[in-house]
Amino acid sequence: MNETKPQVALAVRNLNFYYGQNHALHDISIDFPARKVTAMIGPSGCGKSTLLRIFNRMYDLYPGQRATGEVIFDGRNILETGLDLNILRARIGMVFQKPTPFPMSIYDNIAFGVRLHERLNKADMDVRVQDVLTRVALWNEVRDRLNAPAAGLSGGQQQRLCIARSIATRPEVLLLDEPTSALDPISTARIEELLDELKEEFTIAIVTHNMQQAARCADQVAFFYMGRLIEVDAADRIFTNPKQQQTQDYITGRFG
Amino acid sequence: MSNMTTLSPGWAPNPCGARRRRKDRVATILGMIAAGILVLVLTSILWTLLARGIVGLSAGALFKPMGPPGSGGGLANAILGSVIQTAMALAMATPLGLGCGIYLSEYGSKQNRFASCVRFVSDVLMSVPSILVGLFVYQVLVAPFGHFSAFAGSVALAILAVPIIVRTTEDMLRLVPVSMREAGAALGATRWRVTLFLCLRSAKTGVLTGILLALARVSGETAPLLFTSLGNQNWSFSLNHPMASLPVTIYQYAGASYDDWVQLAWAGALLVTLGVLAINIAVRFSARRG
Repeated sequence: MNETKPQVALAVRNLNFYYGQNHALHDISIDFPARKVTAMIGPSGCGKSTLLRIFNRMYDLYPGQRATGEVIFDGRNILETGLDLNILRARIGMVFQKPTPFPMSIYDNIAFGVRLHERLNKADMDVRVQDVLTRVALWNEVRDRLNAPAAGLSGGQQQRLCIARSIATRPEVLLLDEPTSALDPISTARIEELLDELKEEFTIAIVTHNMQQAARCADQVAFFYMGRLIEVDAADRIFTNPKQQQTQDYITGRFG
Repeated sequence: MSNMTTLSPGWAPNPCGARRRRKDRVATILGMIAAGILVLVLTSILWTLLARGIVGLSAGALFKPMGPPGSGGGLANAILGSVIQTAMALAMATPLGLGCGIYLSEYGSKQNRFASCVRFVSDVLMSVPSILVGLFVYQVLVAPFGHFSAFAGSVALAILAVPIIVRTTEDMLRLVPVSMREAGAALGATRWRVTLFLCLRSAKTGVLTGILLALARVSGETAPLLFTSLGNQNWSFSLNHPMASLPVTIYQYAGASYDDWVQLAWAGALLVTLGVLAINIAVRFSARRG
């Protein structure tokens, strides 16, 4: 690989993806710049979530799904067999559309992931929990009830907890699959603010249906349509001056 | 919008309305009658049990072991025997049932032949007549050793409990959303960890309910114990010997021609029923908390 380009966290080359017989992604090639936010937009079923779920090999949970091509992360093709998926998933975290608090306390929700990969004593774990909760701006809201069940938090708080849980394992890349689509506007705004801070440390790939969100948060935007990458460019260029007609149509709301 | 031409009849009565209302009333009344009959049957059973059982339910019945007719014997050894054997049965059935339920829900997809087989066998086992289970255990654990034993009784009860636990465990685990499993996997947790610490944990109350239901089911079983633990007139703590149990004692005493035995049978029946009732209330309670 080119040593002068460590600025790319994930390099996707000629990626194809199949759900059984269904060819869902066609020849995708795209770079995800390090410590930048890349937003993936496009109509439902265009393959953007599929692409996201390739990066942490989520599709491995389901038989019949397979990917060909290359996704280079830290010098290795993560699609190759024999890769330790648990290490991969510790280095590439994911936050889902619906908040999924685990059936345990707020504290243990964070500690659960950390314990999978590190042995920390109680004091260090306390520090880690406080650190990530502070970074997702949740600490002041939950500091008095760390041992209360996480299910008792509001939807927005739960989603911030899920983000905290993901960054607690210190990943390099954070995948966000429509993280705000189930949230109210205020919670959404807080998570968008959060993205701005998180990108100083993490490479972020976010799937969103919300064009304003992509415009507000992303440095780079990729437009997908029918399993193909139509266009990828800097956010300001793609929203003001897209090269492809399809992109233009989509962002102006003429289809999709 | 009010000046829109519309076909709506406004507040004019619906021409079919009266007939529908009549039908609705008939259906409601039929349903209520059915429910009433059910409640009537149940309360009459409970009432008879209570009226007849409470007479025999003395301190002697609870704390004295069984004895010959007219000697003032009680049910204490049968009560203890029942507790020991059902506890043993649950101790055997719970790990097996949980493991099997977990396998079916997490690893045994609908396409998996072996899993479908296991599911089918487990469902069949649920409806096998309990006396057959007793006969089977007799053949395997009693006849070869030449004596009845409490252990054989426990095994027979366990065989009846396992399919109930399997079914509820699988059903409850299937209710855990896929997103929970994905969220666990996305953190880099291995499959067994996700299953044990996330899925089983969120299905906890449902699974517990299944175990309690199995307990309620086997605690009143008589037939599987007849040829296995047999019954015993005396205190017995050895799993290797015949052991008394409430259902078998009720069976023996109820048909006897001694009044005090018959009375003890009623008292025993009341005890078993109260026990099952208590378990069911516990199930309700645990389900509500979950």
